[in-house]
Amino acid sequence: MGNIKTSDLSMQWSNVLEMVYESRIDSVGLNERVNSLATRSIKKDSKLEALNMIVTMCDLTTLEGEDTEGKISQMVAKAIKPNPLDTSVPSVAAVCVYPSLVAIAKEKVQNSNVKVAAVSSYFPSGQVPMESKLLDTKYAIDSGADEIDIVINRKAFLEGDYRKVYDEIVALKEVCQDVHLKTILEVGDLKTYENIRKASLISLAAGSDFIKTSTGKLSIGSSRQACYVMLKSVLDFESMTGVKAGIKVAGGIRDAKDAIRYLVMINEEMGSDWLNPELFRFGASSLLDDVLKQIKKLKTGAYQAGYYFPRG
Amino acid sequence: MIDIKKTYKNYVDGKYVRSESGKTYTKELKNEFYELPLTSRKDIRDTVTSSKSGFNKWNGLTPYTRMQILYRLSEMIEGNKESYIELLISHGMSKQKANKDIELAIENIIWFAGLADKWEQLAGNLNPVSEEYFNISHQNPIGVVFSLSNSRVSLNELLLSLLPPVTIGCSVISYSEESSVLALKFAEDINNSDFPAGSLNILTGKFENILDDVSKHVEINLVALHKEIEKDGLKRIQENASSSVKRVVSLPSISGLSSILPYLETKTVWHPKGT
Repeated sequence: MGNIKTSDLSMQWSNVLEMVYESRIDSVGLNERVNSLATRSIKKDSKLEALNMIVTMCDLTTLEGEDTEGKISQMVAKAIKPNPLDTSVPSVAAVCVYPSLVAIAKEKVQNSNVKVAAVSSYFPSGQVPMESKLLDTKYAIDSGADEIDIVINRKAFLEGDYRKVYDEIVALKEVCQDVHLKTILEVGDLKTYENIRKASLISLAAGSDFIKTSTGKLSIGSSRQACYVMLKSVLDFESMTGVKAGIKVAGGIRDAKDAIRYLVMINEEMGSDWLNPELFRFGASSLLDDVLKQIKKLKTGAYQAGYYFPRG
Repeated sequence: MIDIKKTYKNYVDGKYVRSESGKTYTKELKNEFYELPLTSRKDIRDTVTSSKSGFNKWNGLTPYTRMQILYRLSEMIEGNKESYIELLISHGMSKQKANKDIELAIENIIWFAGLADKWEQLAGNLNPVSEEYFNISHQNPIGVVFSLSNSRVSLNELLLSLLPPVTIGCSVISYSEESSVLALKFAEDINNSDFPAGSLNILTGKFENILDDVSKHVEINLVALHKEIEKDGLKRIQENASSSVKRVVSLPSISGLSSILPYLETKTVWHPKGT
């Protein structure tokens, strides 16, 4: 996993722009491919392995105005031991919170391998001056965040000011330094596959370690189609620069079955290298609950009820 | 005139759906062949998910609204009376009996509609204690109910297996083997009565296929058996149900206040008198 510094980038803005303007997507072919990958059947042992893998890839998230210290504490406990009655279930990858709660989350995760991610740059809209975004991000990092999730400037993007989108990410990456940077494209706002590809390439070229589908705050969250466009962009970027970037899908992935379909797609299109929490993540609040239920279903043969699992 | 045949489908989450398995079974009535959905274990899983949210929606309504929806159900059946009678006759019932059956069904719905805002007073209790506090038995609907219909084909029987839990706010998954055509026809009237999606689901098939999944499913709170099943099957259901402390009841289809008792969960509340 290379942490990209902008200075190391062999890509000049002119190259980025060229790539961006070349973005053309065959949406019919894309839908066909995505749908055909969704028909794979994953059963028994493979399913159990997939479900455990999903747990290790989860960023357990709470991004609400009502978040309190108690709620974070509860969520972190669940992140470390998702099912206290079944210790074979691994910990999740990270917890994802607002910057003001990073310090609390950091204190709660203690020595576990659960990381603390913070959304910043005025998530979810990003509609503030750049100075505020930098401050927001710096605050989260100073509070101890291991990972930073920022949003792209959709206003600038939709107005066609790609350079501004790129520059903002570059500036935020400079603040982040070695802290893992995930850039949220908010595919629901971008509307078209071409726009998703353009935003992916701009974000990758600007030094993002991960590109992420959505904030989870829109009714249109992640889709396998959007993820497919993004994974192709990541692969193209890798072939040009040698840098392996990650993908995080978030928003609207509520059940284990859907999550497994993402894994199948990643495995088929990107290879097993990407089946790894360092390169693929699920942003989720309710997905984990369904995965835990499915794991128990596989082990006991009985469909489960949510109230037997920890809240968080 | 073109003879258009109806496709019979399960009624789940307020929608008409084929079995996920694509399988059907055939029932012959007066030389007419009915292809009915053969419910699979995955259908059960989906139905329970919908039933769980249906319970929250249905139980969240005021008793007054539940009463109106139930009353509307009787209006719908009244409007389709003739077609019900025709269907019952094709099952071998006499015209007079069929007529009586539908009338009884409608009367029962109205009776239960009236009970919707009264059962709590009637079934709950202020318990006698000799200290300075109130001790109250507060009655609650148990939750998601799976109901296996009677083998007698009768709308009244079918309704008597549904109305008690539905009236008090439970969501019900009604499963029919013998009365499947009738049950799926009845689903159309449920759909027209403004029941929230998932509160009342109608499935058909062979119970043996889904016996284990139903009795093991943790999210089903009660299994009501309105027909005789063989001893080994019952034992299997009871054993499976024990792991999730599920209530299993074998019931005759009865009317009256006592019919709601099996579906109640009692919470005891202590409250100081404040003297």
